[in-house]
Amino acid sequence: MAEPSEGEPVEGCHSSVVFSDDRQWAGHLAAFVRSGLARGRRVQYFADTTDPERVLAALTDAGIDAAGAVARGQLSLSVATQTYLAGSGFDPDAMIGLWQEAVDEAGASGYPGVWAIGEMSWANRDVAGADRLLEYELRIHHEVFARLPLTAWCFYDRRLMSDACVDVLASAHLTHRGESHAAPALWLAPLADRPGLRMSGSAGYDTRDTVAAAAAVVSGAQTPRAELDLAAVRHLDAASLAVLTGGAAGRPDGPPLRIRQPPPSLRRLLQLFPEFDASVEVVDR
Amino acid sequence: MTTYEPAAAGTGRQAPFHHPALFYGTQDEYLAGVGTFVRDATDLGHPVLVAVPGPRLALLRDLVDGDSGVTWVDMYQAGRNPGRILSMLQEFADRAEAAHAHVSIVGEPIWVGRTRAEAWEATRHEALINLAFTGRRVSILCPYDTALPEEVLAQAYRTHPVVGDSVAYGASSHYTDPHEVCRDCDTPLPEPAEAVVIPFEEGGLALARDEADRWAAAAGLPPVRRTDWLLAIGEATSNSVRHGGGRGTLRMWRAEGKLVAEISDQGLLADPLTGRRRPDPRAATGGRGVWIMHQLCDLVEIRAGARGLVLRLHLGTE
Repeated sequence: MAEPSEGEPVEGCHSSVVFSDDRQWAGHLAAFVRSGLARGRRVQYFADTTDPERVLAALTDAGIDAAGAVARGQLSLSVATQTYLAGSGFDPDAMIGLWQEAVDEAGASGYPGVWAIGEMSWANRDVAGADRLLEYELRIHHEVFARLPLTAWCFYDRRLMSDACVDVLASAHLTHRGESHAAPALWLAPLADRPGLRMSGSAGYDTRDTVAAAAAVVSGAQTPRAELDLAAVRHLDAASLAVLTGGAAGRPDGPPLRIRQPPPSLRRLLQLFPEFDASVEVVDR
Repeated sequence: MTTYEPAAAGTGRQAPFHHPALFYGTQDEYLAGVGTFVRDATDLGHPVLVAVPGPRLALLRDLVDGDSGVTWVDMYQAGRNPGRILSMLQEFADRAEAAHAHVSIVGEPIWVGRTRAEAWEATRHEALINLAFTGRRVSILCPYDTALPEEVLAQAYRTHPVVGDSVAYGASSHYTDPHEVCRDCDTPLPEPAEAVVIPFEEGGLALARDEADRWAAAAGLPPVRRTDWLLAIGEATSNSVRHGGGRGTLRMWRAEGKLVAEISDQGLLADPLTGRRRPDPRAATGGRGVWIMHQLCDLVEIRAGARGLVLRLHLGTE
């Protein structure tokens, strides 16, 4: 799991930012917006529960000419429920399309990139599609950030979200800032250098939502091959294997799901259930 | 050699499903009784499965034409845990029945040297055969060594509609409803002298799995067996959360030459055949978890009572 980093925001990164009070929130907010504006990028803040006026005030208090940036179109403050959560709820595919539009619009206005902050606390509420947020966080590393000039910080406010929710979602980012978070029983992160996921921990009935998110990524990945690195998985049960191979079966014709360095339990399950053989390719390195 | 000729009336031979117990005292009686059953079946073109203790296999093979199409299985291995035998039998019968054939099986689940706990679970298996195969075109001959303990032999009269020896068969007057036999198999389990106790609920399942793995490693369970241990406990604890009232208790202790994990919860075993048939691995229901436990453990003791469900999983340390 990524250790929290400090210092200047890094361009192109998709980071989780965990905090638990207003002072921390304002610090992260100001650091990000200041750097984005200074680099000449378009900066967008997607609020969930925070009044955009409060965001503006916090930036001004930090010595940033936020009003000026808004006036010239470099900074925008909006509310998620009135933008990407409007309509039928959260849809990862639609959201990925919106990033392309945002980058295109910024480019047309002379901004070579987009810097965005999103408050993710809606994930812990009864919002349609919220159960697909983990899938989305995992997919965008390759489907968005590897392709577009985009830098984003996902804000996780511990006051508004359960620890379990924060731990799993924050773990799905390759870079992390703010407060550290505990290792969940099972967590997922994108592979840094190629499409695919790394799974870590112990998979069972208690982690079925995380496994379902991995299966959704496998099923929907727009890459010729889906890959799961299980080197850090201590245990994986039959139900998890069934869900993962089900995800692989949902892909259009292509090679089977490549599983790297599986735990002994997965190999034992393949002995018990050769039905899964056609869906997976096990690789030892 | 005596011809296998069950008594005509009242023995169930005319019914599609036939489940006799054969009591034998000598090798000659064994070969006469079992050998005749197998030869008759092969003569009729039945698919035949012979699952008996390894040393018996060679003897029987000598009696039967090598190209007869008989499937030979060492019950010492395949039936190490009595709870996994029925799945094997059903799988064989399913394949044969798909070809519209009558199926003949020799299954010897209890041999001299079985522990008392194994014998009770094997008796449960014998009773469940009657539920699983009712109405199917299957004959299952179960040899019983008369050197087995009296209480084991007495149960064979309760679990087999037909009993006999190498000379003749007749209806068993002690045949008992399989559900009642299963209830009688729920004998009190001996308490361990000491045990590690881990209460768990959904949020603590991973912790319970990790603790089970660490404890087994410290107790000297070899890595290959630890994989089976962890998979079996993982399935049992998940079932407690899913079906057993949302929580349960895991206890672990060492016994002579083995480790035991007990998982208890508030659940019921509505269908005693749960886990006795090979499941669709992709189906979330259908006894997948219990079936996996039976495949991986050397013995699974099941106690289904009014106060809940108790599973004891035994794994040898060798």
